[in-house]
Amino acid sequence: MSLEPFNRLVRLSARAFYDDITMKGDNQPKSGRGDNRGMAVVVLDALTRRQWVREEDLAKALKLHSKQLRRTLRFFEEEKLVTRDHRKETAKGAKVFSAAVAATGDGQQMVKEGEEKTKLHTHSYCCLDYAQIYDVVRYRLHRMKKKLKDELDSRNTIQEYICPNCGKRYSAFDALQLVSLTDEYFHCENCNGELVAESDKLAAEEMGDGDDNARRRRREKLKDMLQKMEEQLKPLTLQLARVKDLPVPEFGSLQAWEARANAAARASGDSSAIDSSKSSQGQGYGGTPMPFLGETRVEVALSGVEVKEEDTESDTKATSMKVLPPWMIKQGMNLTKEQRGEVKPTSKMDESSAPIDDKKSKDVKEDEKSIQDEYLKAYYEALVKRQKEQEALKKMQQESETSRASASDFSNGVPEAHAERRVGMKSKREEDENDDVEWEEVPPAGNTGGTYKLADLNVEADASGDDEDDIDWEEG
Amino acid sequence: MFFHITLERNMQLQPRHFGPHLRDKLVAKLMKDVEGTCSGRHGFVVAITNVEDIGKGLIREGTGFVTFPVKYQCVVFRPFKGEILEAVVTMVNKMGFFAEAGPVQIFVSNHLIPDDMEFQSGDMPNYTTSDGSVKIQKDSEVRLKIIGTRVDATEIFCIGTIRDDFLGVINDPGAAS
Repeated sequence: MSLEPFNRLVRLSARAFYDDITMKGDNQPKSGRGDNRGMAVVVLDALTRRQWVREEDLAKALKLHSKQLRRTLRFFEEEKLVTRDHRKETAKGAKVFSAAVAATGDGQQMVKEGEEKTKLHTHSYCCLDYAQIYDVVRYRLHRMKKKLKDELDSRNTIQEYICPNCGKRYSAFDALQLVSLTDEYFHCENCNGELVAESDKLAAEEMGDGDDNARRRRREKLKDMLQKMEEQLKPLTLQLARVKDLPVPEFGSLQAWEARANAAARASGDSSAIDSSKSSQGQGYGGTPMPFLGETRVEVALSGVEVKEEDTESDTKATSMKVLPPWMIKQGMNLTKEQRGEVKPTSKMDESSAPIDDKKSKDVKEDEKSIQDEYLKAYYEALVKRQKEQEALKKMQQESETSRASASDFSNGVPEAHAERRVGMKSKREEDENDDVEWEEVPPAGNTGGTYKLADLNVEADASGDDEDDIDWEEG
Repeated sequence: MFFHITLERNMQLQPRHFGPHLRDKLVAKLMKDVEGTCSGRHGFVVAITNVEDIGKGLIREGTGFVTFPVKYQCVVFRPFKGEILEAVVTMVNKMGFFAEAGPVQIFVSNHLIPDDMEFQSGDMPNYTTSDGSVKIQKDSEVRLKIIGTRVDATEIFCIGTIRDDFLGVINDPGAAS
């Protein structure tokens, strides 16, 4: 789903058509001091770099007043370039979206159920609608050319008349009421002044010269305009031609996109972000208890990049070997290593999402797996190195903690990551990417444990037949 | 364009018309009421061809009037944008000329009259070509193309052009050449 040519199209058309639109209210004086023409272009450009975005966030990012931004977005919505979605949510439900946006999320704590707010604010989201943009730009160009050509051929334009006294405008349709009995001109209804025909709106009528010349000059002017227009819009028309055959990037409705993004975030091991999203979903969507019922087809948990491509290869395919959730594992169960989830994360994801053509995909995925394994090894080595450096620093401060950290250092790559957290340093989510596999080995003292998963799954079971989890026992 | 359609209308009849010729009186009243009128949606009703059905009369409360729902078929005329019509010129003006095509009035502004026709005022104002070969004056027949219609609730008004090919005067007027 290549966005780049479409983004270029959006940017070109923004600069061609919308670069002189002022966003000030009509009742405000347009002073020389505060003139924000061209802001529309900035907004459109910002939207090309984002998918679904909350308007408040966009306002903050662009350092604009949210009212102005809203006016701009409303304008674009009317121009059919942007789709907007207004949703009533609790403040926590709004965090669902943030979790989706920051696919890596940042340590949002799970809020206890008792603290839910029941006030519903309306949050507005917006997203570029590429399919419509393509059509709209083409239509606009077509209308521009048609208007000029019509004027050039002088056909099918409905005459307009203006009264020079009171400025009232009439169309040719009103001609019947305007005709006067006294002389042969049209007269205004109010002031009885003689009406003047408002000729060709694009080419101003020239007085003084004979009609011939005026007409010819008008034609010349129109031809000129047409030519200039073609020339100036050439890059845009080229881009349109290039984009014509490409599949249009489709983000779907806000909910669909959010669901996908959450799945991606989860697949990249981002537990607590999903956590808060799941719990708040139950509360945020108070009115609609099963928000994803219609969307179940879409999600397959994979590493973030592959999610969108895997959308169609759906979860109805049987998985080869299911990973059992921790609470299902009882003592003495005869499980394979895979079922315990002790296999590397990538392979687990690969297998859980195996499509019909198992063999083919397996081959491909094993290649990927080996590459990913090596990547992981290198990654953990780097982590180890960094950890060592940090320990060296910390040695002066807290000896006991550093010793603990260094001890766990050598045991496993990942608990070291946990140790990092325990030591109280902020860890970026990317480092925890492949964490979720190891959650069985780490005791629930850590923040990824069976307990949270338990709660999570429970909420899932209540809230929706949601398939974002790799464990697809729900859909049977 | 002409259409033959079925319309329905509620006709109210006064008690003095009740009697053996009730139905005839009802039909007569319908024709008087409807023929020649114009509705924005269907156009001008030119003629009623037959009365399909007269439903059961409903006596109104408080008065003795009876309402009959009548279904009838009629010929209607409705002009459309892009349609080409023949019309008869009724008035010529500096700003253009007015023509009538049956019940509908069409205005052709001078902007949509070919450039080579100039307005000439006089007791018979007209548009005429430089060599005098073609003249548009009152009672000339003209073929024109409708480029816009304005439809009110009970009125339809059109704008036309004679600028395109094959449009313009059809034959010389019966009046002075």
